[in-house]
Amino acid sequence: MSETQIKLEDLSVDFDGRFRLDDITWAITPGQQWLIAGANGSGKSALAAVLAGEGDHISGTLVGLPGNVALVSYERQAELIAAELRKDDADILDVISEGTPVSEIIAEVCLDDALAQELVATLGLKPLTDRAFRKLSTGETRKVMLIRALTSRPELLVLDEPFDGLDHDSLEWLQGHLAALAETVPMVLVLNRFDECPDFITHIAYVDGGQLLHQVDRSDEQSLAELHQLIHLKTSELDVPAADPAMALPSLNPDEPLVQLSKATVRYTDNTVFENLDWTIDANEHWQVSGPNGSGKTCLLSLITGDHPQCYVNDIRVFGFQRGTGESIWQIKQYIGYVSTALQWEYRVGTSLRNVIISGFYDSIGLYTKSTDTQKAIADDWLHVLGMAGRSDEPFTGLSFGEQRLALIARAMVKHPPLLILDEPCLGLDDMNRQLVLALIERICRSGNTTVLYVNHRLEDAIPGIENHLALG
Amino acid sequence: MQYGGAMTSCCRMWDTVLQISQFTKRVDVGSVAAMANYFNSLSLREQLAELGKCRFMHLDEFTEGVDALMGKKIVVIGCGAQGLNQGLNLRDSGLDVSYALREAAIAEQRQSWKNATENGFTVGTYEELLPTADVVLNLTPDKQHTNVVNTIMPMMKQGATLSYSHGFNIVEEAMAVRDDITVIMVAPKCPGSEVRAEYVRGFGVPTLIAVHEDNDPNGEGLALAKAYAVGTGGHKAGVLMSSFVAEVKSDLMGEQTILCGMLQTGSLLCFDKMIDEGIDPGYASKLIQYGWETVTEALKYGGVTNMMDRLSNPAKIRAFDLAEEMKDIMRPLYQKHQDDIMTGAFSSGMMDDWANDDAKLLGWRADTAETAFEKTEAGDMEISEQEYFDNGILMVAMVKAGVELAFETMTAAGIVADSAYYESLHETPLIANTIARKKLYEMNATISDTAEYGCYLYNHACVPLLADFMTGITSDVIGKGLDLSDAGVDNARLIEVNAAIRSHPVEEIGAVLRGHMADMKRIV
Repeated sequence: MSETQIKLEDLSVDFDGRFRLDDITWAITPGQQWLIAGANGSGKSALAAVLAGEGDHISGTLVGLPGNVALVSYERQAELIAAELRKDDADILDVISEGTPVSEIIAEVCLDDALAQELVATLGLKPLTDRAFRKLSTGETRKVMLIRALTSRPELLVLDEPFDGLDHDSLEWLQGHLAALAETVPMVLVLNRFDECPDFITHIAYVDGGQLLHQVDRSDEQSLAELHQLIHLKTSELDVPAADPAMALPSLNPDEPLVQLSKATVRYTDNTVFENLDWTIDANEHWQVSGPNGSGKTCLLSLITGDHPQCYVNDIRVFGFQRGTGESIWQIKQYIGYVSTALQWEYRVGTSLRNVIISGFYDSIGLYTKSTDTQKAIADDWLHVLGMAGRSDEPFTGLSFGEQRLALIARAMVKHPPLLILDEPCLGLDDMNRQLVLALIERICRSGNTTVLYVNHRLEDAIPGIENHLALG
Repeated sequence: MQYGGAMTSCCRMWDTVLQISQFTKRVDVGSVAAMANYFNSLSLREQLAELGKCRFMHLDEFTEGVDALMGKKIVVIGCGAQGLNQGLNLRDSGLDVSYALREAAIAEQRQSWKNATENGFTVGTYEELLPTADVVLNLTPDKQHTNVVNTIMPMMKQGATLSYSHGFNIVEEAMAVRDDITVIMVAPKCPGSEVRAEYVRGFGVPTLIAVHEDNDPNGEGLALAKAYAVGTGGHKAGVLMSSFVAEVKSDLMGEQTILCGMLQTGSLLCFDKMIDEGIDPGYASKLIQYGWETVTEALKYGGVTNMMDRLSNPAKIRAFDLAEEMKDIMRPLYQKHQDDIMTGAFSSGMMDDWANDDAKLLGWRADTAETAFEKTEAGDMEISEQEYFDNGILMVAMVKAGVELAFETMTAAGIVADSAYYESLHETPLIANTIARKKLYEMNATISDTAEYGCYLYNHACVPLLADFMTGITSDVIGKGLDLSDAGVDNARLIEVNAAIRSHPVEEIGAVLRGHMADMKRIV
């Protein structure tokens, strides 16, 4: 283990004018293992990224950083995925680009092949090593990021939300692995959920508004209790903002199920994701869908939303349309509100926070229609509920991952859709916002107009009112 | 500009073509010589009328949606990026789409078969699918059109529709399509992956449509082309209604001169000059490789005016003067290219090379790979966005000269301003992007063989033409930037230069068209 202290003194760091950390003074002494805590948008991830050399130092000093710092974060994951997508975008060759395979993505930074092999096997990625990185599911890309970090022989390991999006088995394994690794490698973790704090963590840094407000030694019970209180601020009474009366949908036949899949199968030349799945969703029957990473949860949902091309070779009836009989995808999407990590990756257009929420009325990524004053007012109501009042005109791309997630959840709910599909909605949310979102979902379930499909791995995120359960894989 | 890989197209994209073109190549040689040129068969009055067709269509002209195609059986030939992505969009718009592949591609489960099947499309042989097709979309590279169309025409049913995405085969090769078949063109002006990505976002990409007047037996060509544009999402981003003739003659001119030719010539000249002036080769290579993309990004947003406005005042005046000088030198070359395109001399010359196993094309391609610019890796120094302008004054001047000359020459030849704008200024950033990716190799690999051939023709004439001019150039306009200890300029001169830049006709039509697009585009 390194003998050098990492020392930040009055350090101010700018992140492309989007965010700023101010006057951070912090020392990481050998033997300490830190957790950075704070609300969404507080600067937790920014502080972690500084340790990995990101941001422009405006003033102050940072000394003692080891040469090889490995960082796993949503931002890094997004960058890597965006770089892969850009390769595709820029491809004006008339061929379909396949993207970089997983094995190459790992090999780019790997210094320990044996460990890489072991991790690939343990995390169940073996069948996927030849697949294009950008074709993986969210949880799978996260695992690849972890493997890259763990096999690069890091002298400091910075993990920003390492447990999010992992299925139960992988999560348990990772927690064990990190606990062992903590003996030799200094670590800084960022966690939105305080209850996940591993035992090996010795110190906690609490960040708010771009400042490091508290540093707590874990053995100091008094300070720890105060910090707990700070983090567990209760959510206020909340009202779900109204829908836009001018955007009434063509009405649905109340006697018909919303969704009916008969013997649904998704198959590629080299593998079958699932087969012969029957599933009927009646109005007001809320469902929870679970299963390990890569079991096809997102794939199944995209058969319903029409985003999966194989929806046309399956027997699928949604909102009264038998798929593949002349309906357009926009006729389907008008009945659906949808949020997922994949959507967040794809939402790469420069527009304001308010417009992102309004785009939910039009099922578009970006806004291509003039919005009405009513819609603007509804969007602002949503921002108020989310604790983001007054920030309507901020550019969406400048928000933190968790804040973007909140905005996309509002986008999904804004039109009070007959079917609300929430694919791991709480990824990247801090405790308070998670409570807020779960409460919103619960309200919407009870409203009687919206049927909810909810995907998650965490039993503690169960929502009262969701009684049906579909387990995949 | 057509998007279709030159090198890859032969070997990967359309699985079947290689074998046909090998055994029919000799036949082509004979038929090329005898082949008429459609444009030359028209009277002057008709030629001018066809060249003058180009109109920006308004959203309210698309209220029929995809109705004209609803329930019709659409069969796509060519499962490359355009073929696959357009098919995905059309199907998501409620249309019936399937893919015709050669038997061998199906039997061997080649990539095209995989692409179509994994995306849940019906795939069949030509014999299975074409006889019942109402609309056939030919999305193969132009070079193969004669073979493809001759193969499929006998299988197509009476009264069906054949759609092209480029008019070369009809206009330059005088393909005579059966009288009962309706012939249309629908050409999204972006790469296939973007055609799909924009549709999924709820938008589309700018699209050009046309009807071949000689093949519109039932007068439904326009309705079908409009429905097709709606099906791919193009109507949301803006549709230009043009003609086969206008599309071909303006497309060829744009790609040969400003889009590919000027960028190739400019890259080679600027690099060699910087080396002569003692600039670090890695820096020179990087300044050019990424410089075209950076300066033309400014062009995309605000035309030549905005690109020039990114320079300091003294630099702007220098760039203006350099551009004026180059325009005078290069004008006869642009005119010769346009003349050869209009008379058909360009096409027949190129088709002779096709018949000669692409001897010239392949030779020129190999020569390009051996140039100093191509062989020098870009350095790893940082170059800020503004530095590309400040140290690349000559590059800015070359873009300005090329865009304006191409536009002036096209409009003087009877092509309307809208077409001339799209085929010059509008597409320059897209091509510049390919150079940023992998230099001239990537650009030439990406563009069609037709564009690549034209690009080399231009380059071979333009490099010697600018030789004298280049002897007077020093690193202050390429590589180092002006020494701005005194950034003062004469007010009267600056006003004069600004007025000249802003009043050029390409800026006038550009402001109108970018305005239309902005109206339809994202409301931010």
